[in-house]
Amino acid sequence: MLLRLWPEKTKVSFMNLRFIALIVSVTALIASAALLGMRGLNLGIDFAGGAVIEITEPADISADDIRAAVQPLITGEVQVNSARGTGPDAPDIAVIRFKPQPPVGDETPDEAQNRAGDEVNAALKALVDGDRTAENSRFEIRSEASVGPKVSGELFRSGIIALTVALTLMMIYISFRFQWQYALGAVVALFHDVILTMGMFALTGFEFNLATIAALLTIVGYSMNDTVIVFDRVREEARKYKKLELSKVVDLAINATMSRTLLTSGTTLLALLSIFLFGGPVLRGMSFALIFGVVVGTYSSIFVASAVVLLLGIDRGDKPKREVEGFQGVS
Amino acid sequence: MLNFPFWKVGLILTILLWGAVLAIPNALSDGFLGIAPKEPSDPSNEVAMAAYTQQLQEAEDSWWFLPSGKLNLGLDLQGGVYLLMEIDPAEIAANRLETVQSDIRSSLNRSPLVERNPPVQNEDRLTIEILNPEEDMDEAVKRLNRLNPTIGTTQTNLFTVDRTGDRFIQLTVPNNARTALAADAQSKMMEIIRRRIDPDGVAEISITPQGDNRIILEAPGEADPKRIKDILGQAGRLTFNMANLDQSAIRAAVTSGRPPPQEELVDSIDYGQILINRIPELTGADIATANRCFDEANFPAVCFRLNSSAATKFYNLTRNNMNRNFAIVLDGTSMSSPTIRSPIPGGNVIIEGRFTIEEAEDLSAIIEAGELPAKLNFLDERTVGPTLGQESIAAGSRASMIGLALVGVFMILAYGLVGGFAVGSLMSNIVLIIGALSGFGATLTLPGIAGIILTIGMAVDANVIVFERIREEQANGRSPATAIQAGYERALSAILDANITTFIAASILYMVGSGPVKGFAVTLAIGILTSVFTAFVVTRWFTVLYLRTFRPKRLAM
Repeated sequence: MLLRLWPEKTKVSFMNLRFIALIVSVTALIASAALLGMRGLNLGIDFAGGAVIEITEPADISADDIRAAVQPLITGEVQVNSARGTGPDAPDIAVIRFKPQPPVGDETPDEAQNRAGDEVNAALKALVDGDRTAENSRFEIRSEASVGPKVSGELFRSGIIALTVALTLMMIYISFRFQWQYALGAVVALFHDVILTMGMFALTGFEFNLATIAALLTIVGYSMNDTVIVFDRVREEARKYKKLELSKVVDLAINATMSRTLLTSGTTLLALLSIFLFGGPVLRGMSFALIFGVVVGTYSSIFVASAVVLLLGIDRGDKPKREVEGFQGVS
Repeated sequence: MLNFPFWKVGLILTILLWGAVLAIPNALSDGFLGIAPKEPSDPSNEVAMAAYTQQLQEAEDSWWFLPSGKLNLGLDLQGGVYLLMEIDPAEIAANRLETVQSDIRSSLNRSPLVERNPPVQNEDRLTIEILNPEEDMDEAVKRLNRLNPTIGTTQTNLFTVDRTGDRFIQLTVPNNARTALAADAQSKMMEIIRRRIDPDGVAEISITPQGDNRIILEAPGEADPKRIKDILGQAGRLTFNMANLDQSAIRAAVTSGRPPPQEELVDSIDYGQILINRIPELTGADIATANRCFDEANFPAVCFRLNSSAATKFYNLTRNNMNRNFAIVLDGTSMSSPTIRSPIPGGNVIIEGRFTIEEAEDLSAIIEAGELPAKLNFLDERTVGPTLGQESIAAGSRASMIGLALVGVFMILAYGLVGGFAVGSLMSNIVLIIGALSGFGATLTLPGIAGIILTIGMAVDANVIVFERIREEQANGRSPATAIQAGYERALSAILDANITTFIAASILYMVGSGPVKGFAVTLAIGILTSVFTAFVVTRWFTVLYLRTFRPKRLAM
């Protein structure tokens, strides 16, 4: 017996649930906006500037020792977090973070950031060298990143631009392939997904960085993908049953595509889960965003995008010539 | 939809084979691919030499038909230093204006004397006061216009000449000249950076321009960003000046703060402070070659050779100034100030200092590469150590394997045999992605690996859409052949629409993203193309082959 995530030939009335979905979505959106406004995002150094240094932590040096060595060189707080190494034999890891440094004298802010990075680097080396035992010989700077204020501002702007341009182009494509009501529905759903995902980042305090923007764009792509599959079916059923009420048509389409929706989300989530669990710490934030986004994106293509189309209504056959044909006939 | 004539099958096989051939090198050693190994720098090291000989042999026995392109690993996977640097156009303009000042003065001060005071430079503006404006103004403007140099290979003039007030002329570097200067400086500086960081030209360093005034340096395998910044942070301005080591004169200059005219105080490595002539006898441009050598006491030192005209000048200088001192000054610090005991022919000069071997090597690279036309500002710096890179590769491959296995099991559970076909085409999809990435010379980053895994999850989507359709059609009572036919036909438009929109997102990401994120966009975009091909063509072909061979009454799915 083969696995069925969704029984065949169902007649669930999703559109009857749309008012409940509306309440859920609006509540979630308001909560996200509130979280973003109050707690804000935990911006990574890509966007906030500053430095992150990750070192192997020698056995007899504690996070406090590191903080004591670094803090005098830095204006503002120095965060030091220790973590167990991954793998049985791996040494512990310490991650040192500090914010962009104010310039001294006639330095530029970028120069100040650089100088601080170099001084901290030297202090860390001195700390370990001053106390070199067999245990400490495994000291290594695992990674080091220092971003000045100039570039971090630019990266933030280009991230926002990327999101906006992608959304606009997709909307244009969808209005060209479907009708404008569909495009609007799809874009409302995309904004819904992006805002909720960002709200989730504000809630959990996961670092928001360039990789997160990449994840957001992928979510946008995925959610759009999902929405298009449903819309394609709505268009088809609407042609087939010209007299049927639109809400019934939408329900038919969602029921017909439900099994596919769940299967694809299932395989995508399996793949993402394996990145989240086994892909190492660098990919954790990104895969977290993707997992959340896939779930929200699946929900929104059913309850947000379709509901908006239902609200706006569509042209149904009274002007058949304006209907854009699909790619059918290509083999 | 169910027709696969010979040419179509041929095309499918060719594409799959092409992907496989491009992907295979990633699983083989360099020698196998005919990539010539690097000669060990130390020929006396027997282990290294033995390995080298073996690699050389492997390279000769290599499979000639395999391409040699492997996946380029990004810096986040192989470890290395990434540096984004910026040149300030205003600073270049100011520096360039300063270098033409002496020409301006000598041109203006030919008779009749037209200049009243030394010109005053304020950033990229130079103000000249004319002594007798009624008589000389026109002549001065004419001379300045004649002197105005063009920038690089362009026709753009360095400055504009304007009269301000009755007695002043102002030279300004206009915006278009600034742009031209920055572009000129950018290419020059990329060359100087390469020669400084990689004097022997052996390292796989990439130096690329970004925008008008930025430069990106990527140095794989390098673990110490501080060293690179030290090498690039020095202007590298080297001069030979006559020096005055007289203690009382130096003390007087230090206490009064006013050195004798034509002289200036500089820091000295061996004497605290010394006085040198303001006008240098020779500059860095006169040096032909520089390298690390050893002095008589066998300490590392920097040796350099002057070009022939400078060598003659240096010989005359030493002959005329016996028992006086000259100083070799680098960026305002005297590195050495020897006493001239005899005339020095041949133009060979040595700087002895208490250098380490590495310092001596870096310094000779800086001297030979020449002076940077402007200071480099470091904006963004990222270093990944070799261990973290290795760990990331291991984690990435582990996640891919597990992801692939999970998705495969899931598909077979859901669709049985045809699900197995989909898994087969998923495998060919991965081979095609790796082949395409290797073939295009794209760079694989950690987010790129995530992109591949994500593609594994999403690639089955097209299969799922089709399979669901086939299920429906079968449930409506169609035979397997017509159900498959209808399933593929009806799913096509949805699959194309869905993938084109995702492709739009990936393209935007590629255009706007940088570094690792760009790597993610590349794998995502390539993955979309290959997954549409494999799902729609390869799986269909498998299914049709099965249908033809076994002629089942009903597809179990």
